[in-house]
Amino acid sequence: MKKKLRDFIFQELVFVAEPNQFGDDDDLLEAGLDSMGIMRLIMYIENEFGVTLPDTEIEPDNVQSFNALERWILRHKNA
Amino acid sequence: MSIDKSAILERLNPADSFTLAMDEEIRRDGLAGSLACYGLELANIPDIDALQQRIDEFGRRFPVARASLSQIGKRFYWCKRSDPPDLFFQHHCPTGADEAEFRHATLDRIMNEKQPRESVAPLEFHLLTGPSENVFLMRWLHPFCDARGADLIIKYLCTADAEQRQRFGHPETSPLVFEQLRKYRWWQKISLLLKGKRYIDRLDRLSSIQPLRHEQPPQRLEFAVRRLSEEQTERIVKLARQQVGLTGTSLYYIGCLMRALEKWRPDSPGEAYCVPYAFNLRKQRALSPVNGNHLSALFAQAPREVVKDRQKLFEHLKQQNAQVIRQQEDYAFLPLMWAGSWLSLAEYGKVLRLSYGSGRERSSFWFSDIGRLDLPADSFPGAEITDVFHACQVTSPPSLAFLNCIFRNRLTLSYNYIEPIADAEAIDALHRLMLAELLGETD
Repeated sequence: MKKKLRDFIFQELVFVAEPNQFGDDDDLLEAGLDSMGIMRLIMYIENEFGVTLPDTEIEPDNVQSFNALERWILRHKNA
Repeated sequence: MSIDKSAILERLNPADSFTLAMDEEIRRDGLAGSLACYGLELANIPDIDALQQRIDEFGRRFPVARASLSQIGKRFYWCKRSDPPDLFFQHHCPTGADEAEFRHATLDRIMNEKQPRESVAPLEFHLLTGPSENVFLMRWLHPFCDARGADLIIKYLCTADAEQRQRFGHPETSPLVFEQLRKYRWWQKISLLLKGKRYIDRLDRLSSIQPLRHEQPPQRLEFAVRRLSEEQTERIVKLARQQVGLTGTSLYYIGCLMRALEKWRPDSPGEAYCVPYAFNLRKQRALSPVNGNHLSALFAQAPREVVKDRQKLFEHLKQQNAQVIRQQEDYAFLPLMWAGSWLSLAEYGKVLRLSYGSGRERSSFWFSDIGRLDLPADSFPGAEITDVFHACQVTSPPSLAFLNCIFRNRLTLSYNYIEPIADAEAIDALHRLMLAELLGETD
């Protein structure tokens, strides 16, 4: 899951000089993930992983890093 | 007229053609064309030698900066000039002259001087110096670059390390409009195009409110810059987060301005506020492409009755935005831009501006959220950057363009308006209403 998220974010949304150096806990918002990017990311996640992420849960804690994103998705996938 | 094809540097991409059509529309309205500027207010006179050296280097690396626009057949191209224009100009306030007047007159000349499209320089840098005010200004013609590109150019000039400057413009890519379109098969492109057409048709069911009264012919662009305190900015950012969430910050500014305009001119004709805004196709923090336009467009639309209810308005704008992205209607503008680039500028301009049904102006105002600038205050050669501002020309109607950005934790608002359709007093009144909306001090 994280590999797919990494590919999507680094290919489509945020430029990072060395994506391999970007850790799973590194801050995606600091790296430049903006409001439009988050919106696109959520659409991608919903299509790719077959989950619905509630609008009310779109907050920094859930989108801040790859680990946070994975936890958020799994919470809804397993619900 | 025959044109030497070896002089061609670049063909305009569909997003460039989109801005060129707006340039044509602005010119048809009697104004100077689609000029925009990015200004840096400096604490002192900068290191002019270093600045000149970086500007020269930029001109060599990105030769389109000194090119001219030429039309060959239906297409427009950036072509080499036999006598390329200078990029850097200095203006010094004469001793004893009023500094504010000098600055105003100089900016007015830079932004309002009418020059033929073929001879206007795509890019110019101006340094205004005086006893207490120093301003560095980048003025560009919109087909040359978009706002993100302008930000990259300023960053280029603010990068001291020559090796770091080499990273700008790399990796080289074809225009991002084409890169994005390449992801779709031909039938998907047609489907997207139809989706885009239906999206616009849906918007056009409601006539757009024109808050400014166009009773006199447009004469010139004027702009008013308002800076908010750090405390006000912090409060606004928090309110935006609460109202529209992480995914729709720009919608907070759009919604607030819709409400301010509604309070300012409640009797303006029309059924709904309709606001176009561009989104950039570059990845965040990417240093390439530098020149060219790499964007697509979206609209925020809200009927008057919804605008009157603050909670309802933000919910409406948020839902609308989510729906548009979910349906991929944001990318639907790409094939429309591609198709439009084959039309004459006059035809394309009409399609872009006028509602299909009524034939009236579709935009209630223009909007751009430039966002939080990550430009270190001490990065400019030899001078601290104390503040920034932006300005842009706009068609008339709507005669109003609103730009906002955050620099050094302070929100800067720029109201661009066409005189005599609006004046400083009217914009002051509008700003007071806007500030109250931004700060949530209304019902």
